[in-house]
Parts: sequence; structure tokens; C-alpha cells
Amino acid sequence: MNMNLRKLFLSSIALILVAFSARSQNGSNDTIPASIEKINSSIQVLKKLKISGYIQAQFQIADSTGIESFAGGNFTSGVDNRFSIRRGRVKFLYDNELSQYVLQFDVTEKGVGIKDAYVSFTDPWLRWFSITAGCFNRPFGYEIEFSSNQRESPERSRMYQTLFPGERDLGVKLTIQGPKSTKWNMIKLDAALINGTGPAAVDFDKYKDFTGHLSLNKSLLAEKMNFGLGFSYYNGGWGQGTKYNYKMKDVTYADGTVRKMFAVDSTRIKGDKSERKYMGIDAQVSFDFPFGLTFLRGEFISGTQPGTSGSSATPAAQPAEATITTYSTSLNTSTGNYTTTASATTPNSDTYVRKFHGFYIYWSQYILHTKHQFIVKYDVYNPNVDATQSGIGTKTGLPSWTKATGAADIKYSTLGLGWIYHWNANVRITAYYDMVSNENTAVGPTIKNGTVTNSGYQSDRPDNVLTLRVQYKF
Amino acid sequence: MKKCFLSIAAILIAMSTVFGQKTTIRLKGSDTCLPLSQKEAEQFMKKNSNVSISVTGGGSGVGLAALIEGTTDIAMSSRSMKMSEKTKMRDAGKAYKEVKIAYDALAVVVNPANKINQLTREQLEGIFTGKIKNWKEVGGENMSIVVYSRESSSGTFEFFKEHVLSNKNYTASALMMPATGAIIQSVSQTKGAIGYVGLAYIEKDVKALKVSYDKGKTFTAPSIANAKNKSYPVIRPLFYYFLDKDDGKVKPFLDFVLSTAGQKIVEEIGYVSLN
Repeated sequence: MNMNLRKLFLSSIALILVAFSARSQNGSNDTIPASIEKINSSIQVLKKLKISGYIQAQFQIADSTGIESFAGGNFTSGVDNRFSIRRGRVKFLYDNELSQYVLQFDVTEKGVGIKDAYVSFTDPWLRWFSITAGCFNRPFGYEIEFSSNQRESPERSRMYQTLFPGERDLGVKLTIQGPKSTKWNMIKLDAALINGTGPAAVDFDKYKDFTGHLSLNKSLLAEKMNFGLGFSYYNGGWGQGTKYNYKMKDVTYADGTVRKMFAVDSTRIKGDKSERKYMGIDAQVSFDFPFGLTFLRGEFISGTQPGTSGSSATPAAQPAEATITTYSTSLNTSTGNYTTTASATTPNSDTYVRKFHGFYIYWSQYILHTKHQFIVKYDVYNPNVDATQSGIGTKTGLPSWTKATGAADIKYSTLGLGWIYHWNANVRITAYYDMVSNENTAVGPTIKNGTVTNSGYQSDRPDNVLTLRVQYKF
Repeated sequence: MKKCFLSIAAILIAMSTVFGQKTTIRLKGSDTCLPLSQKEAEQFMKKNSNVSISVTGGGSGVGLAALIEGTTDIAMSSRSMKMSEKTKMRDAGKAYKEVKIAYDALAVVVNPANKINQLTREQLEGIFTGKIKNWKEVGGENMSIVVYSRESSSGTFEFFKEHVLSNKNYTASALMMPATGAIIQSVSQTKGAIGYVGLAYIEKDVKALKVSYDKGKTFTAPSIANAKNKSYPVIRPLFYYFLDKDDGKVKPFLDFVLSTAGQKIVEEIGYVSLN
């Protein structure tokens, strides 16, 4: 055996030993297919974990400084334009087919908040029933569950932001829906028992709220048309924090006329449940027209909402016994001056129960097969249907035991016009203009220490907002 | 001189890498379209050596999801795109085109040992919804019926449900198969079995039944000829979906599929041509 052959022989032996050693390492006798199978198993486990998220960075310009706004929150005093991160979401979903774990955070310049935190189980036999427990979207109507990263308007309508701030709540939900293989899959029933205080609040009373949504979804004309229809019901309430509960009742004015005004409901005491009842109907239709996809959506909600004198919104904390100094300001039409007539110390957190209604209609249109989409949305929220426009903010001629209506009773309408450019699967750019109109009432400006802190609602307030937004989702 | 030679060599290597690169077209989706697309791709690649085509199944829903995600160039589908899928496409800023490539006739198959040769639509509805559980109820042997179906992500599943079962629910005891091949295999091995497959999948190990859509007056066998003359009613179009931006890339292949040669393959495989 010459030198070269010996080298070749030794090298071959060494290679075989190395290969054998590698195969036998850690006592493993895995063949390549076995190793691939192991890797596949690991991938299957990893595929159950799904991470998604989106960021909405935006610039907004308001008609005037310091406005109250439902287009992403009030503007700070002295500010009429701002950059902000409207939403910065990251969602973790572990999907084990019949059970799911979901955790979603919202990270913005305002801090970190939890949006979703729930577990969900589906029955393994029929697969018709699912139970969800934790913090989840309240099953009511259509717009709550319509994700912010898909919705064409930057914000939900005023009525939803008022009635369901934060959209979510804590509780338990039952979902009944047939599997996809059944014809009953087009019908879905969600029913939940929740705290009723929203996603970020600890329950402050012993009462639990019921909310449910029955929906139908069906495609027709070989998928050229799709429609959805839903009915919603909410029945709950919260314990009033003071001994006074005001309702709109027929009151005889000094001139002998009978009109509705806030008067104490003497049958109720502190801790009693103030009823919160809503009924809603929602409908959606989409068409695949040759000139582009068309979506029409509408929703109407009516009901009874307990709030405070200053707001009809659902409170995150119990309006409690407290005292503040209030100012009653009126405009002297002959002199043109505002006069602060009196100040008094009264509980600011009595319960005010209002009958309300609200609706929105929505048209969004893709332009042919381009990346452009246009939106028109109109929404109305009337927080107090018993209050007359001319009567809001005035107490002239009213008995002293009644409470005047105010800013919280004013009806608003918002016309939104928007354009979306769908750059790609990740990025979309939105320009949207909210034209907000309020009822013209007798509610005058609020002046504190000689400074006008609220310009009043005697004419339409300059509170339109232009939003320019870029969204990235993955 | 040496430097010059090396430079030329490097340029030639780079050019061969760039110009020698194959165009790759990925097709994914409907199992019904799978054998047709495979044959079309095979023939197309013979004539176009610079094109490489990969074809994988999984179901129409899987293919359309892949198109939205950008992991396929052509989605094969045995049903029209759903509104929810259209919305996702538009949300992703993706413009797409739909091309009808052929028609498929669905055949109901049983084990060759089964004496039944024909069934009415009403009887099929009864069997697949679970109301009829024994072959003797439709004139066959005293033998339990074993129903095989495709999974719900399949376009075939939805088409059969809509056109044969009048949108009624499949029986809960139906065995859901992940692919058409699995139905053929199961039916061929189970005496009491019944299933449905695309015409192209019919083979000697299973027996295709004649069906009647006029309550038993006339029974028609599933065949290309009967599908073409419209006497066989269980027929549906097959589609390719692709993005506008890929038009240049996939057009030569689509032109081939729609050409006389491509449509001849359609009939050879067992589907119904567009002509």
C-alpha cells in the first residue's frame, strides 16, 4: 500500500467514524426521515402560535384648539393639531383547534393597555358550542367586532364610543354556531354575562349585565353578493352612587305648558340598580360590481342609558357622592355679555337616566380594480330623545325641584368623508374628514375664574377634524 | 492578459446565472384541478424549457388563501371566489383576474361490488344527509351505507352540497377525506361505501352511478359527452385566479391551457373543455 492509498484509507475510516459518532450522539439513532419528522412535529406546535399586530400612526388637524372630539379623543387645551399613535396592537393567539388562548396589548404614547385576554373552548362532540371567558369584545351589534385595522372610518361611531367605551368587557360568553360543514353555519348566536363596566375597570356593583347578538350571514348570486343581518339586546345597569336618580318626566312649567324635564324618581335609593337596556338592529350588504366592490352598512340602537348630569357615557367607575362648585352662566342678549349668576355646592354624580337612539349608515366603494377606496359615513347620536332642542340648557319657568338638561343631552351628527389607499397587504394610508354638527341650544359658555373653558352649544361648534393615518399590519 | 481573461470569465458566469435562470410558476389549490394542472404544466414545460411549474393541492380555499398571502402565483379553484376572500384581496391592495379553464362533472361513486347502478337526486340527498342509512332502502343489498365526503375547505364539498343536497347538512357520520384520491381508495376498499369525485378521477376500482334529476324518469351517466350536451346536470366551472401584476409571468401558461392543445388535454384527463 503506497503512501497515497494509505492516506485515502485512513481518511475514509475517519469519515465513517465521524459519521457513526454523529449518528450515535446522545444515544439517538435518528434516521434522516425521523429527524425530519421531529422537525415537522416542532413546526406543527409552533404553527399553533400566531402573532399579529398593527400600528396606526396619525396626524390630525382640528378646526379649533382644545376641542372635545370622538376622532381619537379630546384635543389638549391650546392644541389644534397633533401627531399620535392611535393604536399599537400586538396579539398573541395560541390556537389548539378546540381551545384558544388570546392576549392582545395596545401600546401607544399614552401607555400600555390590555385589550383582549381570554380563553375559549369549543365542545369536541358537536362543535356547535363555544365558551369564552376573560376580557373580550361585547357581543352587541356589528361595529364593536369590526376590527379597527379593517374598518374604513378611523373611529367607531359616536353612539358606540358613548355606550360601549373600550368595546370590551369582562365576563363569560356562549357562542352557538354550526360548523362550516352545516347549513346552520350562516347563523350565529353570542350571549354574554359581563361586569358592564368596560375593559379597564373593576366591577363596582353587584349587578351583572346580559348582552347578546343573533346574526345571519349569507352569500348569493355566486358570491357576487353577500348580506348580513343582526339583532342585539342588552339588559343590565349599575348601582347608583347617590340617593338621587333623575328621569325625564312630564313637568308643568310656569306658563302652564307640560314638557319633559329631569325630575327625581323618588322610588329609588342609593345602591339601587339603574337600568341600562338597549335594542339594536344591524345590516350589511356587499356587492361585487364591475366598477368595484361596494359595501353598505347600517345600524340602529335605541334604549335607556343611565349616566350623570354631565355625560350620557357609560361610566368606568361608579359616580359617587361628591361635591363640586358649579356655575350657571347665561348670555345677556341685550348687552351681549355672559353672566355667571350663581354657584352652588351640589352632588355632581347623581344618576340621570335618558332614553336615547342613534344610528349610522356607511358606504364604501373600491374604484374598479385599483387600490383606491372611498368612504362616506353618517352617524347620529341623540342621547336624550325626550329633550327638546329649544329646552336644552334652559330652566326658565321650571319648578325648582327639577334639573335642567345640558350639554350631555345635545344631539350630534357626524358626516365623514374618506379615502383609503391600499398600498399592499401590510400598508394602507387613510385621509378622513369628520364634519361634526351639534344641535344649537341654550347651553352657554362655561366661564371659570374669568376664563371661558367651554364655548357653549348655542351654535355649531368648530370641531371638525382631518385625520391623516398610515397603518402597518402584519 | 490573465486579468482580462478572468474578467471575461466572471462576466460570462454572471450572465449565465442571470439569463439561464428559469421562470418559476407556482400553482396551488383545488384537488379537482390538480391532475389537469399537472398534465398541462408537464406539456407546457416540454415546449418551454426555461419555465418551471410546481403544482400542489390542498383545496380551493387553501389556494385562494395562498394567493392572498403571496405564496402562489395561480390559485386553482373549483368554486367562485367568496366575498370574504374578495374583500381580503382588495384590502391587501391586490387586483386579480379570474379565468375559466374547464368544466368538471361530479360523479357519484360506489364500490364495484355494489349492485346499485343509478340513484335519483332525492335518493342521493337522503343518503348524504343521513336519512337513508341502508342500501336496501334504495333497492340494494341489506348493507349499511358508509358516506365519504371531501373536507369543508374543498370547493367540491360546497358544490355537491349546494347542487345535490339542496344546501342541506351532510350527515354527521360522513367521513371527511382530505383529498379526492382518499375517497377513491376508501370507496374501492369498502363494499357499502359511497362518495363523490370529479369525472377525471373515475377509475376501474370504483363504479360511477347514473343520476336522475327528474325524479327517476331519466338516468344519465357521468361522461364528457353527457356533460357537453347538458344532459348530465352535476357540472361546474373550474377557475384559475392570479394577480394582475403577475399577468406577464403567467400569461404564456394560461394561453397554453386555453389553446386547442390545452383544451385537448382537458378532455384527455376527463374534464369538459370550454369549446
